[in-house]
Amino acid sequence: MNLILIGMNHKTAPVEIRERLSIACNEGFNPLDEIKAIPGVGEALYLSTCNRVEILARTQEHTDAEEGLKSMIYRHGNLGEEDMARCLYVYRDSAAIRHLFRVAASLDSLIMGEPQILGQVKEAYRLAVDHQAAGVILNKLLHRAFRVAKRVRTETGIASHAVSVSYAAVELAKKIFGNLKGKKVLLIGAGEMSELAARHLIKHGGDQIFVTNRTHERAIQMAADFQGVPVDFDHIGDSLREVDIVISSTGATGYILTYDMVAAVLKRRKNRLLFLIDIAVPRDIDPRAGDIDNVYLYNMDNLQDIADDNMQIRRGEAEKGELIVAAETDRYIEWFNTLTVVPTIVSLKEKATGIIHAELERANGWLRNLREEDREGVEILANAIVNKILHDPMTCLKEESQEGSALAYVAAIRRLFRLDGSRDSE
Amino acid sequence: MDIDMLLYRGALLAYLLSTLTYIFSLLIRRVSPARAATWMLTGAFGLHTLFFIVQWLGKGYNPFLRIHDILSCFAWVMAGVYLTFQLRTKTRVLGAFVSPVVFVLMIVSSIGIGGSMTVPEVLKGGLVTIHAMLSVVGEALFAVASVAGFVYLIQDGLIKSKKSNKFIKLFPSLQDLDRINHFCLLWGVPLLTLGVVAGSIWARTVWGSHWQWDPKQIWTLTAWLIYAVLLHQRLAIGWKGHKTAMLSVAAFVLLLATLLVEKSFFTTIHRFY
Repeated sequence: MNLILIGMNHKTAPVEIRERLSIACNEGFNPLDEIKAIPGVGEALYLSTCNRVEILARTQEHTDAEEGLKSMIYRHGNLGEEDMARCLYVYRDSAAIRHLFRVAASLDSLIMGEPQILGQVKEAYRLAVDHQAAGVILNKLLHRAFRVAKRVRTETGIASHAVSVSYAAVELAKKIFGNLKGKKVLLIGAGEMSELAARHLIKHGGDQIFVTNRTHERAIQMAADFQGVPVDFDHIGDSLREVDIVISSTGATGYILTYDMVAAVLKRRKNRLLFLIDIAVPRDIDPRAGDIDNVYLYNMDNLQDIADDNMQIRRGEAEKGELIVAAETDRYIEWFNTLTVVPTIVSLKEKATGIIHAELERANGWLRNLREEDREGVEILANAIVNKILHDPMTCLKEESQEGSALAYVAAIRRLFRLDGSRDSE
Repeated sequence: MDIDMLLYRGALLAYLLSTLTYIFSLLIRRVSPARAATWMLTGAFGLHTLFFIVQWLGKGYNPFLRIHDILSCFAWVMAGVYLTFQLRTKTRVLGAFVSPVVFVLMIVSSIGIGGSMTVPEVLKGGLVTIHAMLSVVGEALFAVASVAGFVYLIQDGLIKSKKSNKFIKLFPSLQDLDRINHFCLLWGVPLLTLGVVAGSIWARTVWGSHWQWDPKQIWTLTAWLIYAVLLHQRLAIGWKGHKTAMLSVAAFVLLLATLLVEKSFFTTIHRFY
């Protein structure tokens, strides 16, 4: 099959080395052109993301293409051969196919199931097509990879459970409020995590953002960032009446929202559901507030636990994904094996029809004396005999190609029927 | 077999299939079978509707007179109300709780369905039909409210437990469930009110007085009172979510229990066959 995949990812190489390679590839030269220039390389794909650098190539037999690829990587990695070799993995043929499928399906990702990688693989393939580096084999392989990714995504739950704290918060909000459209969010205090969560909420339909901070200037500044409304810190209670979701992350040592405050607010808001997210350490919201009916209180640890549990679920789902990858790898190899058989069958048929035509031509002298229907009958008969004779060898060839042992038969048939012309007849 | 009975059996089978598929969806904790189950439930509802139409047109039956037909109507309204909500909100897996109830009602109703149809004198009058129809629809709405409340309590407990759980994802959101409760109370109370009024007017005509202290009358009035109070609290005081869900379920359980007690230990003049 002569497929080779050389690469490094977040598991095998530290970021310093990965970035050397990808930076060199992004700026200094066009990797695809250089890869194609390596003797023995037929088709190539170059994939580079924050977490991986991979080169997939189809090489010709009995060449040093593998060495060529490696030395190119060593050269651009700008590091000792030994250091580089330790970070690299090399997969051949079925292992290379499997690896590509796993990468595309996000089974090999740092955050398993994350959706970006498929887009990156598609982009890499587009580049390969643009640079005319992809041929029959890679075209089929990549399209299969896209299909595998889609199957894994839809048939397993690998992508359906939030594994980051902020997404876990968004998912919970959806399960409380159904639709986040028109929901109002109150941000208490500043912080990277709370801003991220707020942005996710807005992205999923959250409507209006209220921002409050001990220093009012900071609140005004943040409100401008979110196109929200700054709220006076001393009047949190009033805005609590309005909002549906509260994200709190102040540096305060005591509780900003006490049990009594929340209980009182809930009455004033006629028991409308309230989702409190406390991502401050030490906590901003009295944990007992979560006991109040229609109040749902999650703190940083709760959300982190959910994200961790979901990661565990994803790992379980990934096992199903691996099964899909294995099955699809087999299917691709099956296809690959028929590929060599198909042209053989085609040329076998061509040769046979060539012979029939030539012989009918030769017999034209006496065939002319027959009636037209009889002439047609002779032609049909000749075709039928030849087809019957060829039928069994061709069926056998197709069957063998399923077993993976077709190469020997293909070679034999090509030699017996002299399908490769005068070169073999020597 | 007559075409109407064929339709009825088809509906019964489709309700069973939908129930099993919904349960399967819960077992594997994935929503995709529930999607198929919704279609089956829709199919069952369609067959059931045709059954009523064929009976009405072909034989002139009134489905609001005999207890078996009324149970079947009850099931039909529940399925219809749920399917309407399914169209409007993402409450798909709620069907896994509605569909079994509908199926059980249908099984009970099937025992006596299609039997002979002699209407006693006391039930001959347009008001009887109106009384039964409004009461059935009102009570079926309460049943849906209670099922939604039941699922609400489960989902509320899951979210409050702060654990990752596949069921959280599967079940509808709290707000959608609460909205169903709201809608069902909002329509159920006035419909049952009118039903009771129609009934009592008819009672005056045939029994001579609006109120007979009959166990069934007391039961219905209790149901009406509980749900009317619940609706009042919802609208005026703003009871929402957990509390209304809990009370809806409690009210329904209480009413079922008293209905059983009434059926086993009391005689009622409100029984005609």
